[in-house]
Amino acid sequence: MLLKTTVNGRRLQVRIEADTRLIDVLRDSLGLTGTKEGCGEGECGACTVLIDGVPMNSCLVLAAQAGGRSVLTVEGLGSPGEPGVLQRQFVAHGAVQCGFCTPGMLMSATALLARNRNPSEAQIRQALAGNLCRCTGYAAIVAAVAAAARELAGP
Amino acid sequence: MREFKYVGSAFCAPETIARVNGALRFGADLRLPGMLHAQLVLSPHAHARVTGIDPTRALAIPGVAGVYSHHDAPTRRYCRYRILPAQAGCIDDEPLFASTPRFVGDRVAAVVATSRQAARAAAREVDIRYAPLPAVLSPEASLEPDAAAIQPGGNLISTYDLAVGDSAAKDRSGDTPAVITVTEVRTPMLHHAALEPHLCLADCDSSGQITVWSPCQSVYGARTVVADLLGLPYNRVRVVKVPMGGSFGGKQEFILEPVTAFLAMQTGKPVLLVLDREECIRATMVRPEQRSVMRSTTGADGRLGSLDIDTLLSAGAYAGSSPDYAEAMAHKLTRLYRFGHYRHRGRVAYTNGPVGGGMRGWGAPDIATCAEIHLDHVAAALGMDPVELRRRNLVAPGDIDPLTGKSVGDARVRDCLDLGARAFRWSERVGLPPGDGRWRRGVGLACGAHKNGVLSESFPEFSTMTLKMNEDGSLDLNASVHEVGAGTLDTLRTIIAEELDIDPASISAREADTASTPYDFGCFGSRMTYVCGAAALQLAALLRERLVGTAAELLGAGAQGLTVRDGAVWSIDGGGRGLAYADIVQRAHVLYGRDMIVTHTYRGWSNPGSYAVQFAGVEVDVLTGLVRVTDVLAAIDIGRAINRQRVEGQCGGAIQAGIGSALCEEVDMDAAGRAGVGGFRNYHMFNAVDMPPVTVLLVEHDGDDGPYGAKSVGEVATVPTAAAIVNAVNRALGTRITTLPLTPERIVAALCDQSAHPRRSAACC
Repeated sequence: MLLKTTVNGRRLQVRIEADTRLIDVLRDSLGLTGTKEGCGEGECGACTVLIDGVPMNSCLVLAAQAGGRSVLTVEGLGSPGEPGVLQRQFVAHGAVQCGFCTPGMLMSATALLARNRNPSEAQIRQALAGNLCRCTGYAAIVAAVAAAARELAGP
Repeated sequence: MREFKYVGSAFCAPETIARVNGALRFGADLRLPGMLHAQLVLSPHAHARVTGIDPTRALAIPGVAGVYSHHDAPTRRYCRYRILPAQAGCIDDEPLFASTPRFVGDRVAAVVATSRQAARAAAREVDIRYAPLPAVLSPEASLEPDAAAIQPGGNLISTYDLAVGDSAAKDRSGDTPAVITVTEVRTPMLHHAALEPHLCLADCDSSGQITVWSPCQSVYGARTVVADLLGLPYNRVRVVKVPMGGSFGGKQEFILEPVTAFLAMQTGKPVLLVLDREECIRATMVRPEQRSVMRSTTGADGRLGSLDIDTLLSAGAYAGSSPDYAEAMAHKLTRLYRFGHYRHRGRVAYTNGPVGGGMRGWGAPDIATCAEIHLDHVAAALGMDPVELRRRNLVAPGDIDPLTGKSVGDARVRDCLDLGARAFRWSERVGLPPGDGRWRRGVGLACGAHKNGVLSESFPEFSTMTLKMNEDGSLDLNASVHEVGAGTLDTLRTIIAEELDIDPASISAREADTASTPYDFGCFGSRMTYVCGAAALQLAALLRERLVGTAAELLGAGAQGLTVRDGAVWSIDGGGRGLAYADIVQRAHVLYGRDMIVTHTYRGWSNPGSYAVQFAGVEVDVLTGLVRVTDVLAAIDIGRAINRQRVEGQCGGAIQAGIGSALCEEVDMDAAGRAGVGGFRNYHMFNAVDMPPVTVLLVEHDGDDGPYGAKSVGEVATVPTAAAIVNAVNRALGTRITTLPLTPERIVAALCDQSAHPRRSAACC
């Protein structure tokens, strides 16, 4: 079947099977390997993408479900050659160690800041509850998201 | 106190940008032309004989290139832990494919196909017949005289019996002991839980040259195992370290490299093998389960007289690193505490269970968990504050570790204890009543030691590196670096930058590649900063000398009157212009035919202790048994933080893992030898909501000879965490739970047991 979808602002048509997962379309068909597979069962959040702004585990979404929708991956953050605010704050706060959970964390945080411009620490942690990290203990990631929120809110 | 320009601070490396924009390619992101995908077929039985393999249905699936089993593989067995060709302590007991699988998850066959989906579908269609054999699942059972042999040679793999001190001593003051205390502690199998699943990519070119791309911790070790198994010269096997999504030890042994290289050789095509999470949990390696019985005598003054430990460790189906791992456990306490007498006996046994392998801390967290729970029992028996008991027994700087005869170095663990206790408000908090309602509060502490390198362990403690300056003043570091995510590349850059006064981001540093980077043993034993960092410092000093010497010639000045600053060479007395590095390199090339390149081999010669003391506060819900960790404070004797941000980051992850091992992480096994745990749905780890606030205090006394005084942190930071949590829970509840993890079930059971045999009041279920 033919999937018609928008990924990172580009309208695309991709051949898929009925049981093709969205994560496989992104990584294999489109070469967008920034989205990672950590568990294949929606527990670790490494595969988080935004579908019409909603964070979802792309390992649990059938590619066909993205038909007619808009998908945002880590490659779609910021602008070409210029990291976005969240990405810069992750770097500045030491929120990136091995980097495997990072794309998923960025996507969950992006969705949070779009719906809540001034999240509390508890709200940030709750928004990241579905994103596991084994390297950082989460503190630097939470601080980075809070700093990004402050920067986006402006002076 | 010396002022540093780069040491201590963070900076942004190009690879960090690549991690936040999704551009960095990890192993599973690599694509080669004609690449095939592999899927392993794993034994569903804990012990069985394969009586037949029929690949017919699998081969009929479109896209399947081949099905392989023990019929096709070399019969030679290997040791997944081997790095050196003639390494002592390596037992070659593992086949590429088992004809007699020895645990649920043992490799029986592999399918290679043009897509991962086809390979997985075909793997289900390989018809394998098994004749089940008796399975032995616990080390106690496997060491019974009539137990079925799991490997030829019997089930007892190794033993040790180490003792130091005066065996007649009951306590150091010569009095009879005030208390004799016995504790048994059990720690379970754990999953390393790196977010990136295990994987390997291998190719075999038309000349028979094998290339392996692996997120490993030693390219030279992988090469040894692969080349020896396939019967190839070492220079016909190239191993390349690819970016790694975490290891924590789980990728340090050569689990997938041999089979992937074999499949590439068979097919003549690139083969990518990526495991799913269930396979990672059950079929790679686990931190081995162990139980230790500790018996100590302590004087009324709190000084430890003797400590006698008996450890039994389960290696699982293959010996792997378990013999060395178990013995490593015996070497972690004599560098932490002063004992009148210390004896440690250990046994390592085969079982038909998942294969044990090294996990972050390499035995130190395991034995510290046991010892620190035990010491809280000793303190209780003496009626002494647990912090005070530690204070009376911790080593001091310059103490000799009696087991090795070597100095513990500038051991600042007592400073960590005092600083941490004060900042945590220990005296005040330990005196507070836990409460007698539904929620009970408690605090706990634990101490831990680790090391800095592998000196004196029959491993090559050296590193060779090359540093080259380009005509524009940028640098290329050529070293066998294995970045696990902790920031090794950045550490080496910072050290070099400080010596040469250049921007650390201007240093290009690749990772290890046996074809081009000089020999280094690998990222183990906390040797990266202490040994490889020291190598980089000496290397940079040599390049600095070359630059300054060349500048002296160019300027017609004496080298002793010159210094480096801001990427240029200057006259110390301030006169004249600076000569930029780029200028020096360009003119040296043309005028002197001289290249700005240095190669250096650094040999490690010391191995001091790194130390951590951690304090934890908990709140336990006696109705459900759930534990909330309210706060953790870690005081670390680190010598010098090369990158403070990364040090704190490492502590965060280390503590997350330690808390998990105390409260909720466990790879279980049922009566058929199958792990019930198969994913993060039931292997529970602390997430962002669970994690408490963590305070990290660094003791930077700069008293050892690491680069800029630095010592290791990544492993030591996870050593005492579990015990601190367990001690806090037991203090909150008045219980003596000594089997980890302290799950809600175990806590509620202990509380019910307590109320059946009351020593103090407790809410019952």
